[in-house]
Amino acid sequence: MKTERIVVLMTTVGLLLSVQLAAHHGAAAFDVGKKVTLKGTVKEWVFSNPHCLLSLDVTGDDGQVVHWIAEGQAPNVIFPAGYRKDSFTFGDQVTVTVEPVKNGRPMGRILGAVLANGTTLGPAQSQPTTSTTP
Amino acid sequence: MERFVRLIPVAALAFIASSMADAQAPTAPNRSPGGWLNPDWNKPPITNANRKPAPRRSLTGMWGPADGPGAGTQAQGVPLKPNNGKPENEPPYTPYGLQLYRSHHALEGFDAVLPTEDNDPRNHCEPLGVPRYNHYNVRLTQIFQDDFKVVMLYHYDNRWRVIWTDGRQLPKVVDAGVDIGGEIREPRFFGYSVGRWVDDYTFEVQTVGTMSEDRVWLDSTGRPISDKAHVTETLRRVDADTLIWSETIDDPKVYTRPWETMRMSLRLHDPRTDIQEYYCSPTEQENYNRLFGSGASSKGTP
Repeated sequence: MKTERIVVLMTTVGLLLSVQLAAHHGAAAFDVGKKVTLKGTVKEWVFSNPHCLLSLDVTGDDGQVVHWIAEGQAPNVIFPAGYRKDSFTFGDQVTVTVEPVKNGRPMGRILGAVLANGTTLGPAQSQPTTSTTP
Repeated sequence: MERFVRLIPVAALAFIASSMADAQAPTAPNRSPGGWLNPDWNKPPITNANRKPAPRRSLTGMWGPADGPGAGTQAQGVPLKPNNGKPENEPPYTPYGLQLYRSHHALEGFDAVLPTEDNDPRNHCEPLGVPRYNHYNVRLTQIFQDDFKVVMLYHYDNRWRVIWTDGRQLPKVVDAGVDIGGEIREPRFFGYSVGRWVDDYTFEVQTVGTMSEDRVWLDSTGRPISDKAHVTETLRRVDADTLIWSETIDDPKVYTRPWETMRMSLRLHDPRTDIQEYYCSPTEQENYNRLFGSGASSKGTP
């Protein structure tokens, strides 16, 4: 029975991931499904095409500072999710969840963020779709 | 166990619903700061209670995918045949068409490659051409018309397209481009389009004379399209707020038979909506690749 429960769980998680993947874009470079939460200091927020870029200094438990870069989709794509040109400013203390790249570099795409003013934002990616099209 | 199996779809749907709700929750409320109206992607569905009749012979308006802004992205290829490796979604390639597809290294789809390995002309900010503009990040599309033409303004890269409705004939496709009354004209990224009203609510568009297959792709997964393509679109206004946009491609150079690529429902938006720029800038593309794209797709050790 335990194995059967695991199968059910895997099935539902698989379906869940397929829904989320449908909302993503250009997945080949990313470790899809993996999440890394970063608490750090904003160095730069580039609100630009083709992708927005957030530079973040993150201090690890060992005291070492790692420079992360996280991408979002283009400004018009992430605008409905609440992202703006001034969402991040230099020196802000923020928490950002990213889906990291596969090659181990400190890079990823933004799945969510808690801004310096406490505002919580969702994925900086294409918005999910409903299905009313004939 | 049987009861458990019966619960699988219920549990799956619950997970999916919660996922969708969670993903949609952060959507910003529709606002109009200083009169600059933001796009409204949370419109109530059209029902019998709020449905208004379609105006006669009119496509004018600002239109967005009815299924949400992500529905126009079409990252996985044309909507009716997503490039997901399933045999039923394989387009009917000619041998040359399949050879072309295999030479295209796309960032999306079943055969996606890393950003440093792709050869999508989009990444050099090349015009996408028709029909690919119909399959690339379609969001808010504006349509204007007068007695002679219908004009479509695509959001991506601020591109526009003219569809003539004054009765002129569709050019004949020839090897060098198109033949118009004995004159040879050049292939064009947007081709040569003529349109006619099939009935008071259905507009049909024919396009030929598009760019050759070494310049343009059909979609973001690298499906090919050639200068021998004949594209047929229909825009059917089913009510005041809904337009159904369909497309069929007949391209004997790369496909063995005509096939339908799209049947997208569009929803009317407030004509005062402010549209953010969504352009391809070579400088910004280069900056992105330098800061992120190249490093993210590197296979080397960090």
